[in-house]
Amino acid sequence: MKVSTALPTGVAALFFESARFRRRLEGRLAALVESRGYEEAILPILDYLEPYEALLTPASRGELYRFIDRDGEQLALRADFTPMLARLLAPRLHSLQLPLRLFYRGDVVRYEESRPGSRRELYQMGVELLGMEGPAAGESAVRGESAECGEPAEGGEAEPGEPAEPGEPAQDAEREVLALFLEALAGGGGPRQVVLGLAGCLDSALLTAAGGTSPGDLAAAVARRERSVVRRACGVLLPIVETGLPERPEDLGPAAAARLRWLLAMRDELALRFPAVRLSVDLAEFARFSRHPDLAAEAGARTYYDGLVFRAYAGAAGVPVGGGGRYGSLFRALGADIDAVGFSLNLDGMLEAGEEGEGEFEAAEGAAGEGAAGETQAGAFLPKRLPERSTAGGEEGPEGRSPEAPR
Amino acid sequence: MIRLALPKGRNLSPALAALRAAGLGLAGYEESGRSLRMALPEDGVEMLSLKDWDLPLYVEHGVADCGIVGSDVLDEIDGDLLVPARLAAGRCRFALIGRSRELPPAGSQVRLATKYPLTARRLVEGRPWGAEIVRLSGSVELAPALCLAELALDLVQTGRTLADNGLVEIEAVAEVAPCLVVNRASFQRHRGRINAWLDRMEAAGAVA
Repeated sequence: MKVSTALPTGVAALFFESARFRRRLEGRLAALVESRGYEEAILPILDYLEPYEALLTPASRGELYRFIDRDGEQLALRADFTPMLARLLAPRLHSLQLPLRLFYRGDVVRYEESRPGSRRELYQMGVELLGMEGPAAGESAVRGESAECGEPAEGGEAEPGEPAEPGEPAQDAEREVLALFLEALAGGGGPRQVVLGLAGCLDSALLTAAGGTSPGDLAAAVARRERSVVRRACGVLLPIVETGLPERPEDLGPAAAARLRWLLAMRDELALRFPAVRLSVDLAEFARFSRHPDLAAEAGARTYYDGLVFRAYAGAAGVPVGGGGRYGSLFRALGADIDAVGFSLNLDGMLEAGEEGEGEFEAAEGAAGEGAAGETQAGAFLPKRLPERSTAGGEEGPEGRSPEAPR
Repeated sequence: MIRLALPKGRNLSPALAALRAAGLGLAGYEESGRSLRMALPEDGVEMLSLKDWDLPLYVEHGVADCGIVGSDVLDEIDGDLLVPARLAAGRCRFALIGRSRELPPAGSQVRLATKYPLTARRLVEGRPWGAEIVRLSGSVELAPALCLAELALDLVQTGRTLADNGLVEIEAVAEVAPCLVVNRASFQRHRGRINAWLDRMEAAGAVA
């Protein structure tokens, strides 16, 4: 009998060196997060579908592998760790000592269109910091202005020294988790860049825009950086499309301005601590991460983030290798009034990026300015992804990859 | 060095014009013949020559940092690409094509031949008639001309091919433009240069 070695689309088996590399990276990351006080949670890969129905968007529903079990229950394969953790812990949090620091590792399974490089089974590791009630050990709240953003906004904003929305403990939690994320990335081999944003901070501008474009369509246009559409609809958003930041933080309203100043100050501080990671603030990158119910429904993306959001790119890879943010609203939707911050990393994506992006960073190109408004000067590095470009037609490049062979 | 993917075919000429408006000299590119990749150190770019349908994949995966491709192709793929500009030149339109100017009567079912099945499906959803989508890979005009399908959905620029084949444009459905597309991670790395290109293209009226 001839036995096929084929596997379903989007999954892979790892042997020998590939398996060793994955386990080594997993071990390094697990040791890191354990050393920072995070304890492991082991979660099942099979779960009921019903508890998550209210949380699903059309897009996330379309990603689920779901089926009817023999006893008639609707089940789904795990597509995301966070909602499962939230569901299991929310009813029990009153009896647990907070804050909780947890980490997880394992596969998530999501349906993706079949195309080169897309995976339907992803091996993730992530952390969750739940119910932060006081300042994290060794961390103090970052408050103040960024030199790039001028004077503080007038009116509607907390005085310096007072807690700003959403409260200093929550900001400390965001900062602790982001710092751990950067530490995890900085330990890898290749160049890394992390883009920071704030869920919902463009909502006010999107909802008041003119020009006949719906707020949802405008959010999508901002996320795709469609200059002409954004210019017609809302001039305030144009600099965000171009540089990642508004001309003045106050253009986004007092609450969003305060949060943006806090984010820029945190970026500046963390860029000094993690010079190997290029750190930038870009609000357009997360324009579809809305907190307004109507906008969120239109956006159709994963919408449980309600504060800091971030996304990492590694090596020459054009796709993110990890991300995270704050998502207290997810727990509140499940009946627990706590804040939660977390991140996840795609280990196979990191390995692929590390193999391809080994080595160096180089200074930002030219005066034309890769160092645009959203980027920190301290972290203004560029990955040296293609050391030499061939001029010969069709010949394989120095990185061993021909243009006809996408990853 | 920014790696820039250019399309073969009808969008190449407007793409080169837009890049020149952006300030690239492109010295020697058009004389490079059949080369699939070519470095232009004076412009700080490496050019890749790709087919329209492959180009978005290269950009989405970061193999190319950016590229120029028709919105007809972008509307057919489920990619996560930045689309900061639509070029002013090289525009054409999606049109419903048939042997006569009549649209199918309400409640009827026809065959609709096209290279663009998703666009066709979206179009048919809003119509009082139904259609079986017949996917073809080229010479779509032949389908209604030889009765493989009652209608076709295809790009029309001058209408000359239709006239030569005894067909008529029944309805212009949507405008199609060559678009600058950029990989998300590449935009973060090369934002300054890409924005400068866009500023110059806008000043020259090369994008709309």
